[in-house]
Parts: sequence; C-alpha cells; structure tokens
Amino acid sequence: METRDVVKVFGVIHALDGLTFHVNHGEIFGLIGPNGAGKTTALRVISTLLLPTSGTVKVFDLDVVNNADEVRRIITYLPEEAGAYRNLSGWEYLQFMANFNTKNKRDAQEMVREAAEITGLGERLRDKTKTYSKGMKRRLLVARALMTKPKLAVLDEPTSGLDVLHAYHVREIIKRYVKEHGVTVLLSSHNMLEVEHLCDRVALLNKGKIVAEGKPQELKEAYKSANLEEVFAKVVGLA
Amino acid sequence: MLKGFGNFLLKELKELIRDPKILLGMVIVPLIMFPILGAIMNFAMEAAQETAAKVTVLVVDHDAGDNSTEFINYLKKYSINIPETSFSSINEAIGKLAYYNATGVIEIPEDFSQRISARENVTIKVYSLFSSTGLFEGAGVSIIESLVEQFNRDVAPDLVIPEKSVIVKGQVAEGVDPRTLSSLMLSQAIAMPITIMILLSYSMQIAATSVAMEKEEKTLETLLTLPMDRFAILMGKLSGSIIVAAIGAVAYMVGFNYYMSSFMATIPIGANVDLVSLGLVPSLLGYLLLGLSLFVTLLSALALAVIVSAFAEDVRGAQAIVGNIYPLIFIPSLLLMYLDVNALPTALRIFIYAIPFSHPIIAAKAVTMGDNLTAALGVVYVAAFTIVIMYIASRLFATEKILTAKLKFRGLGRRRKAVVEEIS
Repeated sequence: METRDVVKVFGVIHALDGLTFHVNHGEIFGLIGPNGAGKTTALRVISTLLLPTSGTVKVFDLDVVNNADEVRRIITYLPEEAGAYRNLSGWEYLQFMANFNTKNKRDAQEMVREAAEITGLGERLRDKTKTYSKGMKRRLLVARALMTKPKLAVLDEPTSGLDVLHAYHVREIIKRYVKEHGVTVLLSSHNMLEVEHLCDRVALLNKGKIVAEGKPQELKEAYKSANLEEVFAKVVGLA
Repeated sequence: MLKGFGNFLLKELKELIRDPKILLGMVIVPLIMFPILGAIMNFAMEAAQETAAKVTVLVVDHDAGDNSTEFINYLKKYSINIPETSFSSINEAIGKLAYYNATGVIEIPEDFSQRISARENVTIKVYSLFSSTGLFEGAGVSIIESLVEQFNRDVAPDLVIPEKSVIVKGQVAEGVDPRTLSSLMLSQAIAMPITIMILLSYSMQIAATSVAMEKEEKTLETLLTLPMDRFAILMGKLSGSIIVAAIGAVAYMVGFNYYMSSFMATIPIGANVDLVSLGLVPSLLGYLLLGLSLFVTLLSALALAVIVSAFAEDVRGAQAIVGNIYPLIFIPSLLLMYLDVNALPTALRIFIYAIPFSHPIIAAKAVTMGDNLTAALGVVYVAAFTIVIMYIASRLFATEKILTAKLKFRGLGRRRKAVVEEIS
C-alpha cells in the first residue's frame, strides 16, 4: 500500500498536507501522532471513505478513487470507538458481516467460527452486544476486521480506551493473525509505547505530514531516544 | 431543596438551549408553525364559508303558478342564486348542475300554488349535490331549509315541507339526508389525515434515528467500507423503515377503526345510509391508486428523512432536524381533515398540491367520489418528487458527504475548531 502526496482539505484546514508513505506486504505499520495530526483522515482516505483532495493512494496497486469497489473487497476498516449493532448478539453481528464477504454459507460459517475463537468471548457471543463491556466490544470488532483474512486491515486506534488486559489481548490477536495469515496491517495510535511493541515500522505524523519513518529501533537510535515518545518530541522540536 | 439540583438544572438548560437543532425544532418551529397554521385555517375557513354562503340552486318548477313564483323570488331575495327555473325534469336539471356550478335542485310539484292557496300541506323536493367531504358540505341545503321555514312563517304558515335527498355521481338517492351522509363521510375522511400524520411522522423518526444511530455508533463508517452496493444501504434503510411503519400503521388502523366504530354505533341515522349502494366507496382501481399514493408518499418522506438526518451527528440531532419537516405534514392533514381542497383559495390550493404529503388525503377523497384521475395525477407528481429525493439520497450515500455533511450554525472561528476536532 502506498500514498503519494496526499492532500485532504476541509474548508480552510489542510488535514493531510502531502502525505507520502508505503506499507510492505505482511507487515504491521503504525501511523502515530498526537490528536489532530490527521491519522484518522489518512486511514479514512485509504479505506475509501473520504476522497483525497489531491495525490494518489494505491492498495495492492488498486487506486482508492478509481477502483474503490475492488479496494473494498480486499480491505477491512475498523473505526476508532466503533460500536456494534446493539440489538444483535455477537454471533449475529459476525454472521451479518461475514455474509457481505462470501455467498458460500460454509465459508461464512467458517469465518464466524474463526472470529468467535479470536474474540475469546465464548458463550457471551450469544448475548446482545449492548450488554458487552467496551473491551468485549472491541475484541468482537477486531475479530470482525480480521476474520475475512483481508489483504490489508486498517485499524484506527485498535486499543483506544481499553484497560491493560483487554489492550494486551487485542494486540496479541493482531500479532498472531498477521503471522498466521500474512495480513498487512495499517494501524493508528497516539499511544507510542504500544506501537513500539506491536509495529514492524512506524511513521510519525504531525500536522498532516510524515515527519519521520522507520523501524522503532532505528528511529530510537537515530534520535538517541529511549522510546518513540522522545523521538516524536525531538522531531517536532519539543525537546 | 435538593442538594446540587440548581447547579445541575443550570447545566441541563445550557446544554439543551445551546443546541441549535433543539432550539430550532422545539422553540422556533412551533412559534412560527402554529401562528401560520392558525392563519391558514382561519383564512381557509372564511373562504370556505364564503363559498358555502353563495348557494346556487336550479329549480324544476312543475307548477309555474303565482305561489311557486313567489317562493322562487323569496329564495332569490335571500341571496340564493337561481339561474334557471325552466327545467322539465329533475334529470334535466341534474345534467346542468356542473354548467351552472350549482349545489342542488329544488323540485316544485305541479299542485304547489293550488295547495298553498287551499292552505294545504305541500312537499317540495330538495336535492343536494354531494361532491366532497368538506366541513361545509351540505351548508347549501341547510340554508334552503331555513329559508323554507322562514317562508312558512312569513307567507304560508307551515305548509311547505322540504323532503331531502342527495345527488351522488349524477344519480338521485331518495330519502338520504345530505347532512347525515356528509357527517358519515366526514368521519371516514378524518381517518386518512390522521393516518398520514401518524404514519409519516412515526416512520420518518424511525428512518432518521436509524441513520443517526449508524453515525453515532460509527457502524456507518464500517458499512461504507464493506464490499456492498452503497445504494443497498439506502434501500435497506428505507425498506426496513417502511416495513416497521406499515406494521405500526396496521396496528394503528385496527385500533382507530375500533375507536371509530365504538361511537359510530351510537349514531343510528348513519346506519341508514348504505355507502355501497350510493357508490361512495372506491373502485378496485381507486383502492390501488390510494395504496400507490400512500406508498410513494411514504417513500418520499423516508428518503427525505434519510437526507436530512445525514446532517445530524447523533440521534437527538436527527430527531430535531426531522421535526422541522412536520409542519409540511400537519398543515395539509389538519386543513384537509375538514375542508375540501377545491373549497380553498387558489394560492392555498396550489400550496397544498405542491406538498407531496397532501396527496394521499386528496386521493382518498377523490377515489371515493370516483375521481381516479386526480388520484393518478397525484401519484405521478409524488413519484416524480420521490425520484428526485431518492436520487439526492443515493448521491449522498455514494459520496463522502454522508459522513462529512453537517448543519453549520457556528461562527467561522468556532467552525475552524470543529473541523480540527473532526480530522483528529
């Protein structure tokens, strides 16, 4: 996946201002930055939700503007703080989502079975999602995003608002799935320490631009920092 | 005093009053809508009363004697317009009703003068044209009735007895009291406006809430990235709302029917009027047109609700925005509940015809009177409106507007802040 000189303007605000980066096949790539840096906008453009004002975005050589339908067939997108349908049970929700990806009943059942395993929710999947805690809901949604074995999973703040245990569980799901199925993951986070442990490579985003990019270890060495937080502070001139 | 109540109430009021959608929907719209509604109703009632007061009747004078001439002149003296009295039969007069824009026929028997002179009772026949279900329907015959009573007092003490009948679709229905028929039809005619008000407002709330819920829970964002046709999302929303609204409408109609029948049973005079034999029930084609009219109107209302709710960020906002469309449902419903659209002044009539939500009500009245053309033209108009609205809704779903559209009430400075929040 690659973006080249992507600009997205809302009124007078340049949310993305010449965004250029690429993600290699089978890696977990993290877009990190503070609130308002443009992470969500970038992920929405890549996921075909928003049109770029200028520039190009290609997902496995498919243009997100001209080949949006084809792109949607090979990606999944998990919005930040997304909910599930409150009056559907976890099972029903997964079934509903699986039916969009395959017409074959057996394949759909297999997807749901796999997702159910990923969630680790067990019998609670039979309950309506409105009875789930935030962490349970997030596990359900992450499982939904991965169960179709997409070529690219775009995850916006996958562990945002979760407690330590739920966040750990979600990170483990992502890591394991990428290893087992060769899924490419693009995720965003403002939690730089978390990203350091999860991502193969990261890009630091500030005011709609990439200000640094590389492996976490390389970045730390290059900026002589103990962690990515320090790297970011040095890059934007705060330290 | 409850501890913390004052502080909490102040916060609550600030939150509610500062929400421009609530301010618009709950305060400004009612403040504007009801005075407008009142003015329209007043204007319409006055106009309809004025029309009803200008009674034009045709007279079949079989007598042509002194007393019948005196009787006719007496009616004319009290501003009853009688353009022609030389008809030889009731059927000939009925044939000229439309030509003279008359609302009834008086048939004077050939022995009228002879009986009046002999101080004997004489029966005149008063035929009232039943053409619609307005509140002032039958007003003409009431005026004639009171003039006959006055004539009885002034000229021929209690000699003239009016026998009332109605003319329905060009046929005389002997012995049917026009006012009984009118009130029976009116009670039936009320059902459609009430159905429209409840069905449309209820289903619009369902559609708007369901779109807003998808936005609020961010499930819409997920849906828009799935390998599915975006038009299917729109159609799914509309169909789901239609089905739920239809179930609601059936439940409502069953309940309303029970309510109506519970007190209709206490009006025995109504039971004497057989609407089927009078031809005052819609034909099969009429029923089909009525159903079609209701369906396309419902579809247009739902599509409109989906469009406007796309501008809301949450369920509360969507409901407040949809509330702004209600005047367009309530005004024609309340107006047409008691008045016939043709009795309205031209400007108001055009306004009512332009509102798509008026058409099922107009169609219900029209098909009852056998006027399927009016119902069909209404269906065509609303269908065209629906196509336009559906096109706009489908474009909205096809683009990023469904996610980014917002009503902008804020000043520029605050808008910048809002955009920053949006992109973070």
